[in-house]
Amino acid sequence: MTFKNRVLYIAISTLSLSCAQAFDLGQELRNAAQALPGSGLSGYSAQEEVAIGRQIAGNLLGAAPLVADKKLQKYVNNVGRQVASMSERPDLAWHFGVIESDDINAFAAPGGYIFVTRGLYLRLNNEAELAGVLAHEIGHVIKKHHLNILQQSKMLDLGSQLISRQIDGNEKITKLIGSGAEIVSRSLDKKAEFEADRIGVVLTARAGYDAYGLPAVLQEIGHNSPDDNSVTLLFKTHPHPDARLAQLSLAMDDRFDKLQGLTLAKRFYRIK
Amino acid sequence: MKPQIILIMLLTSAFAQAGENGTTIKADRLRAAPFSDAATLAALPAGSRVEILKKEGGWFQVKTIKGSGWLRMLSLRVTKKTGSELSGLASLATGRAGTGKIVSTTGIRGLNEEQLKAAKYDEQQVTLVESYTSSRAEAQKFANLAKLKSKQVDYLPAPASGD
Repeated sequence: MTFKNRVLYIAISTLSLSCAQAFDLGQELRNAAQALPGSGLSGYSAQEEVAIGRQIAGNLLGAAPLVADKKLQKYVNNVGRQVASMSERPDLAWHFGVIESDDINAFAAPGGYIFVTRGLYLRLNNEAELAGVLAHEIGHVIKKHHLNILQQSKMLDLGSQLISRQIDGNEKITKLIGSGAEIVSRSLDKKAEFEADRIGVVLTARAGYDAYGLPAVLQEIGHNSPDDNSVTLLFKTHPHPDARLAQLSLAMDDRFDKLQGLTLAKRFYRIK
Repeated sequence: MKPQIILIMLLTSAFAQAGENGTTIKADRLRAAPFSDAATLAALPAGSRVEILKKEGGWFQVKTIKGSGWLRMLSLRVTKKTGSELSGLASLATGRAGTGKIVSTTGIRGLNEEQLKAAKYDEQQVTLVESYTSSRAEAQKFANLAKLKSKQVDYLPAPASGD
């Protein structure tokens, strides 16, 4: 069943339950279907994806603004874009940012908006580790992990809102993503996290970096006690770093032994 | 460069490598060099304790009761050295010292679910982050400056025993 069809189905069921009758049902359903920011369950257009991601990014930045350091932000964009160029979506307009929070975390929004907290950035030792963290988030974007959970969780809600005519064109994205940047604190399936880790090490290695940048960060983060507030959200929404490392160990095995990647500790930009 | 920063950098290099222990999470071989085809020095069962001397890519140089050598980093679970004094020093020297800790004293800025949920859209900030965007060509140039060479690497299949 396509997204449109599913919404129509929901709409029809809602309507028949409420015994609505005083308006043109066919026209109403066509309007409802057109108001949706997606043409089918299989996916949104790239344009819609960016519009959704932009809204989420703006909401996240409302909670934690960019660190006021232009050189830092430019540096992170240079590193991130090169890693993203190694993916199957090299031409997406990728945006990267370091945000003001002591929490240790990183976030991805659809359409290529990626953020690392200052708290996590300060734990990094070199450019390969930064590349690894960004590459994990890039993995979420290219696999559309967040977009998929939006589609699954909001469909019913959206269907009922459309039919009660409480939605207009401008509101549709807000209705889809929920309150603020809540969506970025949603847990993904742990398979999705392991997948993003595997993509992360591969993209890092493709860009010429030491493939073990991401594993090194996971080892470092694994030191944090779960009681430490700075990792509460990260540990709640991701499998424990030890489990992620164990999965990576199985997946990587000796495949990266012959690759001589760079760590670039000297070029790594330190926050002043 | 300020003397304090130099001191912190010295501490960082000294302790980041010397302040950690590890336990093998699976049986692995201790090797003479950081390569998979290097000579095997000893076989370590899962649960072996090691002291980490040095890190090099995917390999750690370690000291074990069977001697010193190289182990795959992913065969180890790393722990900070126990003892409050040393772990305090080690955490001071992991890069948080010069920056993170000082920031923390001025007020910890978290990012929890409630804050994320209550977040209000900030157009100015989105425009700002978009203004920092690098083009593919720009990023390639930046990579070239550091002699980063892109490589052909296949995606990894999910491990059979994985979830």
